[in-house]
Amino acid sequence: MEPVKAIEMKGISKAFGSVKANEDVNLTVYNGEVHALLGENGAGKSTLVNMLSGIYRPDSGTVSIYGEEVGFTSPKDSIAMGIGMIHQHFKLIDVMTAKENIILGKNQGLITRNKYISNEIKKVSDQYGLDIDLDKKVYNMSVGEKQTLEIIKVLYRGAKILILDEPTAVLTPQEIKKLFTIVRNMKEQGCAVVIITHKLNEVMEISDRVTVLRRGRSVGTVETSKVDTSTLIEMMVGKKVDLAIKKEKTADAKKLLLEVDNLHVKNSEQKYALEDISFKLYSGEILGVAGVAGSGQKEICETIAGLTKAEKGRIIFEGEDIIGKSPREIIRLGIRMGFIPEDRLGMGLVGSMDIVHNMILKDYHNQPGIFLRRGPSVKKATEIVDKLEIQTPSINYPVKKLSGGNIQKVLLGREIDSNPKVLITAYPVRGLDIGASYKIYDLLNEQKRKGVGVLFIGEDLDVLMDLCDRVMVFCIGKVAGIVNPDEVTKEDIGLLMTGGKGGALS
Amino acid sequence: MRKFLAIFLVLALALTTMVGCGGGAEGENGGGNVSEEDVTTIGFLYIGPVTDGGYNQAQHQGTKAVEEHFGGKVKILYAENVSEEKQAVKTNAINMIDNGADIIIATSFGHMDGMEELAEEYQDKYFLHFSGYKMNDTNFGNYFGAMEEARYLSGIVAGMMTETNKLGYVAAYPYTEVLIGINSFYLGAKSVNPDVTMNVVYINSWGDAALEQSAAESLLAMGCDVLTQHADTSAAQLAAEDAGCYAVGYNMDNSKVAPGSFLTAPIWHHEAYLIPTIEKMIAGEYVPESYYGTMADGYLGLAPLTDLVPEEVKAKVEEVKAQILAGDFPIFVGPLNDNQGNEVVADGDALLTRDEIWSMEFILEGITAIE
Amino acid sequence: MNIISISKREDLPQKKEWLIRALAVALSIVCAGLVIRILGYNPLQVIPSMVSGAVGTEIRLQQTILKAIPLVVTSLGILVAFKMKFWNIGGEGQIIMGALGASYVALNIEGLPKFATLILMMIAAMILGGFWAFIPAFFKAKMGVNETIFTLMLNYIAIKFVTYLQYGPWKSPDSQGFPKVATFSNNAILPKLFGIHIGWIIALVLVVLVHLFINHTKKGYEITVVGESQETARYAGMNISQIIIVATLISGGLCGLTGMIQASAVEKTLSATLSGGYGFTAIITAWFARLNAIAVLFVCIAFAILLQGGAYIQISMQIPASVADMIQGIILFFVLGSEFFLQYRVNINRKRLNAKEVA
Repeated sequence: MEPVKAIEMKGISKAFGSVKANEDVNLTVYNGEVHALLGENGAGKSTLVNMLSGIYRPDSGTVSIYGEEVGFTSPKDSIAMGIGMIHQHFKLIDVMTAKENIILGKNQGLITRNKYISNEIKKVSDQYGLDIDLDKKVYNMSVGEKQTLEIIKVLYRGAKILILDEPTAVLTPQEIKKLFTIVRNMKEQGCAVVIITHKLNEVMEISDRVTVLRRGRSVGTVETSKVDTSTLIEMMVGKKVDLAIKKEKTADAKKLLLEVDNLHVKNSEQKYALEDISFKLYSGEILGVAGVAGSGQKEICETIAGLTKAEKGRIIFEGEDIIGKSPREIIRLGIRMGFIPEDRLGMGLVGSMDIVHNMILKDYHNQPGIFLRRGPSVKKATEIVDKLEIQTPSINYPVKKLSGGNIQKVLLGREIDSNPKVLITAYPVRGLDIGASYKIYDLLNEQKRKGVGVLFIGEDLDVLMDLCDRVMVFCIGKVAGIVNPDEVTKEDIGLLMTGGKGGALS
Repeated sequence: MRKFLAIFLVLALALTTMVGCGGGAEGENGGGNVSEEDVTTIGFLYIGPVTDGGYNQAQHQGTKAVEEHFGGKVKILYAENVSEEKQAVKTNAINMIDNGADIIIATSFGHMDGMEELAEEYQDKYFLHFSGYKMNDTNFGNYFGAMEEARYLSGIVAGMMTETNKLGYVAAYPYTEVLIGINSFYLGAKSVNPDVTMNVVYINSWGDAALEQSAAESLLAMGCDVLTQHADTSAAQLAAEDAGCYAVGYNMDNSKVAPGSFLTAPIWHHEAYLIPTIEKMIAGEYVPESYYGTMADGYLGLAPLTDLVPEEVKAKVEEVKAQILAGDFPIFVGPLNDNQGNEVVADGDALLTRDEIWSMEFILEGITAIE
Repeated sequence: MNIISISKREDLPQKKEWLIRALAVALSIVCAGLVIRILGYNPLQVIPSMVSGAVGTEIRLQQTILKAIPLVVTSLGILVAFKMKFWNIGGEGQIIMGALGASYVALNIEGLPKFATLILMMIAAMILGGFWAFIPAFFKAKMGVNETIFTLMLNYIAIKFVTYLQYGPWKSPDSQGFPKVATFSNNAILPKLFGIHIGWIIALVLVVLVHLFINHTKKGYEITVVGESQETARYAGMNISQIIIVATLISGGLCGLTGMIQASAVEKTLSATLSGGYGFTAIITAWFARLNAIAVLFVCIAFAILLQGGAYIQISMQIPASVADMIQGIILFFVLGSEFFLQYRVNINRKRLNAKEVA
């Protein structure tokens, strides 16, 4: 028997201004299958599924659900056809309970039949093996629980087709396992599941078939069991890519560069964001930092860079305590430290300014007089554009109009150019495509070779384990452990990240 | 590109249509390029719109009377909303001169400095200013009036008709012109009702319907049962009507606006001064003066007393009016004390001249000012 | 059903950008013309009369320039604050306070040569205007208080304060009881050059200075960075509070200077009405000039033409003030509206439209 086509998209095109987000894309998903949608950032995955969920409308092409051609004009139409979308950023209301969130926006009569609804929800969640405390408020939930709630919410509204947009990005390995169990359950119940991701190992693990998108076009659909990761990468990137991250051992005697000792930092709500953090960073090493998002990664970077005040503790840079010093004082002391913040355009660079003016962001004040000199930075900009192969129409082009990878290269280029001894990088490859990511890893390895101590805040555990010499694991503002990636498994790190409770955060 | 072309075509079409319709109006003339020799162009500057139902409308009524009187011999230009910023005054006047104006008449106090400068710059034009004090020897004069006479008469009406013996006065700013009005109104009331007292609320604006209304309401709440105002709108009269009380207006006969409360109002007859003055200007015989009109001149008056006013009150008003018109009825006659208890006009003394009256800085005993 | 959808435009070619602007102007004239026609006037007289009323003769051109001067100086002040995303809508109050400072000098300091008096007046005006902007800047920098409402409210305080002075302590004894501040002595009045007070030279010089300041000084660089992202400024080690305060001092100081120019050259005294709404109009002009000092000059001149043309037709055609305002409003609406089309594209979904027709 021919399986039922849950989704059939044919010749879909969608343009935003002059940018063609999707061009002639085809996607077919059957009932009872898990279908991965794979592609680099900007390949058009989100645009495609947003057309399924009724957020966008295709410029051309047809969408059929269960064989019926549809023209969604709003998410309502899509929900009515049994499509449930789980966005990367959860659409939940924090101050409400799980149940209130589930029934929110669903048309009801005048009287809410509490008991009846609870039973209905229970029925749905039991059917798919989902488990949730209906009376728990959302702000008390862990990321995993929130995701489960999102799934129940769409299932309760009758979804038979589930679309998950980058569902694992914010989860720990344990939570990912749980999610995959749920996904398999749904598949067994005959649902169609579309998972958007750029993580290959997950594609291999969970999906039955894969559709690869590249630059807005569908490259092809393959059966997962019949391909390997390097084939998929070639489809994604369009060429063969050497995937291995080389971890180079530096032979020289390592020198202590930075010592953080008993560091306490409060956030704006006067709660401890960092508690009793102590670690050492040596020359010629990459120290990775792993942790669930918001475990204190941002604070540790900013505190070392002098942007956030510490409550107590010491940060000793080559023998000198730099705590309480402003960024400028730190620079004036001759301490050479580079900092690649997480928010590139919002913090590291000035988006509307060109490369030249971004080059002098951290040292313009050393220029004599009141006027700004462009000369030296023009030279610097030209060099960096050359050396890092930054794709830009000119050095006078606003950085925010560059692609993500090129923006990151401008930022990294500037920081490296100051010959730092310590380089702090927060999520340096977030949002970058595979090619750009590997270029960044290469640059970091090059710094390491030169004897720089690199603090690498990462989110992809595979990368952290491949790239870093040691991995420090954060759990709710505390160091849960510093491990040698050669000696532990990913699951071990995941356990440390969640305080050993394996899954839910308390 | 095709889209742009299409829009341009539509534009062109619309323009042609306009030309077609426009043909009929071609004969009308804009501007001063046609100036028949015996037509004098007069430009009026108003601080607000001529439909404001108060100050500016009253001014414009005078203007229209002038136009009617001279028939085709004068052409009237006017500009509304001329702010008191000097540049605005000058620009509007210059634009008028540009359009052939020979006489410029500005009607708000703040227009004064602009007029002074213009008189200097355009010595072959005449300039007249209402409610100011500046003038020169050749082509710039001013005019104003002894409003205290009409205020006094309206005070008589209020004094006779109050039952609570408490009058309410919505006033603009605590400054001389307003103080003269307050005191004369009160003296009028007191002349017929020795027990009367009066409360004054300053709104610190020349015209603001909302402020005037809230001031009126607070006066009504204090027990005042006849209100009057020295501010531009009819808000006080309407508030009084709502409360079932009486009101004396200012500037305009508002018997139709607030029929339930309106008793009368002291009003200006600008044409009474402007018509003879413009005649002199046309003849080239005008000598700048600082005119201070009176009721006897016909420059000031009282709006007809409405039917709400009993006959005996009307008779009393007529009696005093006759005395004022006869010219031997000073308003501010001693002994007068201010509300701090100081004697301001001694027994047997009186404020007679304009200068004496216009140095007034006090409010009289019996009046309470609420800031 | 979404027949029309709106999407953000990518960069437009310069030529097309100007084409859209020209189209907007043309469209606005046609629309204004139609309205004029409906109201019973002849658009073929009104619109040319508006243009010739603004630039047709030397005297009209002078009037236009006299309106442009305070607009340019105020717009430059607003620009400096807006560059930092400090929404200074307190230009009116800063102008008034500047005029107050200048007037204090003009009325109380005697015996100085004219040049020194004028310079002193300018300094006093910039200090007071700057101070009036400093108050909200201080609270914004130190406590994060929103500046929008704060600056707006300070307008009313300034106006009421000057009104109080005008009716009270500063009332001239020579004004025969009228509420008027004394007229400045000749020493305190800006001289004229080519028939117009030298405010026009000040304005031109300031255009160049502000352009240099924003684009070629370290402080200007800092202001732009703070405006772009305070996080970036923090990252770069900038002293954000200090930058906010310096920039608003300059912003308020320039608005204050407008007050000095208006008090000295135009009013020749202090009055609560001398700000003439320039503090608000400057927000439109600064924005329309895309916060570019050179563009401010041209935008303000264009705006002054619109103002003078509107005032002129009011008199020459005896059109009510409200109709003249309406014409100005229509033109402004289209021209500002065209900025929307420069940044967004409106797509009409033909397929859906047709589908509807069939149904």
